[in-house]
Amino acid sequence: MTQTRTFPRGGVRPAQTAAIPRSEPVTNATVPARAVVPLRQHAGEAAQRVVQVGDGVVEGMVVGKAFGPHSAHVHSSIPGRVAEIIRAEDHSGEACEAVVIDLGGEFARSGRSTTVRPWEASSRFELLALVQAAGVVDRGGSREPAHLALAVPPGREAGRLVVNGVESDPALSCTSALLREKPREIVEGTRIAMKILGLSAGALIAMSEADAGLVPAFERAIDSAGAQIGIRVVSARYPQEHSQLLLAALDGRAAARGGGSRARGTSGEVILSAATLFAVYEAVVLAKPLTEGIVTVTGSPLAVPRNLKVRFGTPVADLVDDCGGLREEPGAVVLGGLMSGRVAASLRVPVTKTTTGVLLLSRKQVCAAAGARPCIGCGRCLEACPWGLEPARLYKLLDRGMADEARVEGLEDCSVCGCCAFVCPSRIALAQGLDLGRRGRPLDGI
Amino acid sequence: MGSELPAAPFAREGSSSAAMAWTAVLCLLPSAGWGVVVFGARAALVLAVAVAAALAAEAVGAALRREFTLTDGTAVYSGLLVGCLLPPTVPLYVPAAAAGFAMLVVKQTFGGLGRNWMNPALAGMVAARLCWPGPFAAPAATFWTAASLPPLAGPLSALRASPVDAAVRGWLNAGVLSGAGMRPTPGSFDLLVGIRAGGIGELSVPLLAAGALVLAARRVARWHLPVTFLATFALLAWVFGGLPAGAGFFAGLPLYHLTAGSLLLVALFAATDPVTSPLTAGGQVIFGLGAGCLAFLLRFHGTLLDGPALAVLLMNAALPLIDRWTRPKRLLGATRGSPS
Repeated sequence: MTQTRTFPRGGVRPAQTAAIPRSEPVTNATVPARAVVPLRQHAGEAAQRVVQVGDGVVEGMVVGKAFGPHSAHVHSSIPGRVAEIIRAEDHSGEACEAVVIDLGGEFARSGRSTTVRPWEASSRFELLALVQAAGVVDRGGSREPAHLALAVPPGREAGRLVVNGVESDPALSCTSALLREKPREIVEGTRIAMKILGLSAGALIAMSEADAGLVPAFERAIDSAGAQIGIRVVSARYPQEHSQLLLAALDGRAAARGGGSRARGTSGEVILSAATLFAVYEAVVLAKPLTEGIVTVTGSPLAVPRNLKVRFGTPVADLVDDCGGLREEPGAVVLGGLMSGRVAASLRVPVTKTTTGVLLLSRKQVCAAAGARPCIGCGRCLEACPWGLEPARLYKLLDRGMADEARVEGLEDCSVCGCCAFVCPSRIALAQGLDLGRRGRPLDGI
Repeated sequence: MGSELPAAPFAREGSSSAAMAWTAVLCLLPSAGWGVVVFGARAALVLAVAVAAALAAEAVGAALRREFTLTDGTAVYSGLLVGCLLPPTVPLYVPAAAAGFAMLVVKQTFGGLGRNWMNPALAGMVAARLCWPGPFAAPAATFWTAASLPPLAGPLSALRASPVDAAVRGWLNAGVLSGAGMRPTPGSFDLLVGIRAGGIGELSVPLLAAGALVLAARRVARWHLPVTFLATFALLAWVFGGLPAGAGFFAGLPLYHLTAGSLLLVALFAATDPVTSPLTAGGQVIFGLGAGCLAFLLRFHGTLLDGPALAVLLMNAALPLIDRWTRPKRLLGATRGSPS
């Protein structure tokens, strides 16, 4: 039984940009000659470097050990030798230490047959340890190490596991591609996560209406595994994939309050992206650390936009050739989606565990983004805000340095989804302003 | 790449606020053009003076803030709207003063676009009307009729039908409508198409309605406010409009009162200004209800000829209150525990 549900208010339906045909299979990106592996690819503390310049590394070897309670291991995605240690951008654009590896030597895993590890007999703690060892990070909104979300604290129960396969950004199709190609593996990863959480039932796979055609494949995979997993089709309205809005779509308005921005809600839900469950499958069944993922590489400057399986650490510039090269000089590189991605400093930034998309903007798009005019009070940002905030009002408060008042008015609820700025006819950088305000920075210069 | 990086979202929906203002200009032009057809070159001169004065005043006001805003369409629109609200008989210093007051005093002294709390065009017109009441009630000749007073200035029986009206009604009565048992009163066709004295741009119901529909379709204006405004006014005019004449309840003439004055122009093209209208649909409904009631009171029990403009200005004053009453409901609740 499938039914289209959505969150109660706001949201937008942007037009698709540089769409990748659904028939297009995911292809492997070229192995980079030099990988830049940042030691923080998750929300939390950076991993501690365990290699020196000149060390040889093999594929899948730990180069950074988790350090601190909210950290995850970082593995090398290619074999070779450590060339240098540099400062690079992490997942949020902050500087962090990165290991630069020059490709060399033999591939220990790629191109070889893999043995399948039976996991049904393993205890939940053994399985959790495997997930932790593989450095699995939630690729969805939370970006937390997955073993933290899956570890049920003593005295608490996981109420439910929600597999977030929803994708509504108009530029991204990596989740859709994964759902299309790996339904069996995602279902198996979900079963593993259910076992870790101690759930025999109560798991849901949510996907957007645009992918409703994939439901039969998932039903078959669930049936053949004999698992108790439900499927829910939700709206493709942006930003439906946000965990709280997904809960609101599944369970109604009140459920959103329990969600929080973390992978585990206060009411016991564990919400992990479909890519994370696929990584759990690979970690447990194939004993493979998280060193690669599907990334949408798109934008009008590219000749052939594609969904590529990219080794983490691959510089963005290397992906251009896999997409048929450039048709025009790009104006900017965005990591993430069209609506809420972040401009990268250059084409040299690496793809990391939480990169869902690489979006090249044309020079024209970059110019069009500039030029704000006065707010005319049209109220469109109020209509578009899924959180029921008044973005223009918050922006004006922040602009006058009244951050405390803005917080009282709900600034902390803002998820920087970008809907307000998307609809603003005066082209005010509302989302950027609210993001700066949330992080306690002044609004000068925008 | 420049030093200042662009930020998400990297796409924008719909037209810019400047494009919205220019769209509004285009939607108002047919109605203004009809005024020129009806009143002749003099009406075009009044419109031109109003637009020129608005542009000049806007340029001066914005220059004092070291800005240039003439291309954003809002000054042209306000000037055109001022001209549309004025009768063609006014001396030319009236449109100049009204538009200048609108832009310089009402808009620019409060900080320019988006900062004014009153609708500039309506405030300019009302100010001019208070200064020079005479020309506003002066008789005006149309292309088809001799000089006559605006409909609301005299009793209903004083309305004289134009030859066009007589011809069209005669044809309708003989043909289409006789079977339906309807007999339009003399002057009703004049009121509908706009052959009468009055404001230059307030005359033609079809052209005003068509322009408003385009505004709504292009999402320049939302329908909630004008629809509530007009419906409230029409209802009150129907229920209570007969009382002053001693005809009892439910004896009013809502269609006459909807078409006879500046109501349609004000409700469709002035009250919908985003700057001086509420943020939410709920607020727009409240605004419309209030403006409808006030416009009714001012028309039936006021001393000024024209209630709608003043009604909107009074509701403008209540705008901050309305916006506060109708704030959106926060999805996560107003008080939320800190995540610590």
